[in-house]
Amino acid sequence: MLDIKQIRKTFNPGTPNEVRALQGVDLALMDESFVVIIGTNGSGKTTLLNAAAGTFIVDSGSIHLEGHDITHWPEHRRAKLIGRVFQNPFSGTAAHMSIAENLALAARRGMGRGVGWALNRKLTDSFRDRVRQLNMGLEDRLDNAIGSLSGGQRQALTLIMATWLKPHLLLLDEHTAALDPKSADQVIALTDEIVKREKLTTLMVTHSMHQAVNLGDRLIMMNRGQIIQDFQGAEKRRLRVDDLLTRFDEVRRAEQLDETAAQMLERLYV
Amino acid sequence: MSLLIGAMTIGLILSLLALGVFISFRIFEFPDITADGSSTLGAAVAAALIVKGTNPLLASTAGFAAGFVAGSLTGILATKFKINGLLAGILVMTALYSVNLHIMGRSNVPLLSSTTLSTYAQNLGTKLRGSAEPINILGWDVTVLDASTLVLIFLAILLVGLLLFWFFQTNIGTAMRATGDNAQMIRALGVSDESMIILGLAVSNGLIGLSGALLAQYQGFADVQMGIGMVVWGLASVIIGEALVGARTLGLTIAGAVMGSVLFRLLVAIALRMGLNPNDLKLITAGFVFVALIVPGFLSKLKSRRAGLSHA
Repeated sequence: MLDIKQIRKTFNPGTPNEVRALQGVDLALMDESFVVIIGTNGSGKTTLLNAAAGTFIVDSGSIHLEGHDITHWPEHRRAKLIGRVFQNPFSGTAAHMSIAENLALAARRGMGRGVGWALNRKLTDSFRDRVRQLNMGLEDRLDNAIGSLSGGQRQALTLIMATWLKPHLLLLDEHTAALDPKSADQVIALTDEIVKREKLTTLMVTHSMHQAVNLGDRLIMMNRGQIIQDFQGAEKRRLRVDDLLTRFDEVRRAEQLDETAAQMLERLYV
Repeated sequence: MSLLIGAMTIGLILSLLALGVFISFRIFEFPDITADGSSTLGAAVAAALIVKGTNPLLASTAGFAAGFVAGSLTGILATKFKINGLLAGILVMTALYSVNLHIMGRSNVPLLSSTTLSTYAQNLGTKLRGSAEPINILGWDVTVLDASTLVLIFLAILLVGLLLFWFFQTNIGTAMRATGDNAQMIRALGVSDESMIILGLAVSNGLIGLSGALLAQYQGFADVQMGIGMVVWGLASVIIGEALVGARTLGLTIAGAVMGSVLFRLLVAIALRMGLNPNDLKLITAGFVFVALIVPGFLSKLKSRRAGLSHA
């Protein structure tokens, strides 16, 4: 399981560009739970994911995964436990290398890499079988460079790569945001299928209210670097898009109220 | 004829340099100019050892090892200390100038009276031929030394080329290629991109050091200035290779770099023979690389403009 305790992160501290991206976030993920994170731009949802992935080291707090204290592990070391899919379809694959070579790199995630051949007949056959299930016609193009594929195809492959070896935690960072609606639906269906079949512990950031209510068994709403709402169990199942919109409206109004109050106080006292 | 054979031999020796530059510039897209120093370093180490009576094979291997260390230093500066890649190379290259002088003890070490790989080649050639008589090839007399050196160097380059071709298809080799392609992705798959860059630059400069060691033995001396302009030379060879055979597959690119190096050296030899001032050589090489770098972008701009016109 993943256990995040009181993590904080401030970017560019002490400068005019200071951003308090995470302000004391607590989050515990049970094994096999599928948690969706939503929030406005700049709410810290992607930062939370990156903190777990090790893109940066948090200023304070701790992160435990599968009993390991990974708070200070570098990104590549955490990859042994974590599979990731990025928002940008270009980020998850090596464009100039073939589909088979990309999959071969993923098939050794977190393992030692020596001077054995990266590809062999058996491995290529297993890649072909797996890719065939995508129904994208990629099974005959294993030797083609990934750069020649569409964004949706690349995200589908990245998803397969991230889960080829079962990860203890799967991080999905708005992985359909850059895709056209049809490809996004395909990738979401694939995500749901893989997560359910492999019983993966998953943390997914999304912009889509629709995905947020339809996927996962727990929904977390973030605002200004903090978790402001946590829907679980029956409450999550009953949740509709309208409920989320209402909740977002409340947050916005509260913030506007804050600002108006601040302005009023400023007028009175400054 | 001996001019032609000499040019081909030097071209093959410098193709090790081209392969090293191919690794840093093309695989990692890392503008590593350590090469100017590590090429001389390989020559200096090999020459100093050979003068002391060390086996030339061992001395050449030491040249490779010295370049390997120099390259890993540049890699460490660039990754662990986050120094700009170009600057990291400049720092190591500059430091190597002093190191090279210390190794050689002076600015030039002659090897003509020592036992080098060229001596080995001559002995082997004479033994195989049964006499030291020049060989007649198409009406030209070729000395046993020239012929056997060329053949041995060719075999050595073939071996190195095959080794690289194999290496870049192994687990660690593909991880290296992926590091240059997409560092974010390879970190997410559990590989330290920093280690890959350090190891890659080490192998690259190891090859360049070996090239320097062989060049010193072929030309009969090591000189502290001999590395100047080597990076641009290697880059020119890689670019010519890509123009010759393209860069579609790994094997083609490796073969292309070797062919590019030989062809470039031949062209230079012919130009010099036709009266080109040797002082202008580096200016022309730099000009050539400049043109080769801007032409592809220029062509595609021209193409897209034409396409735009036809649509309008």
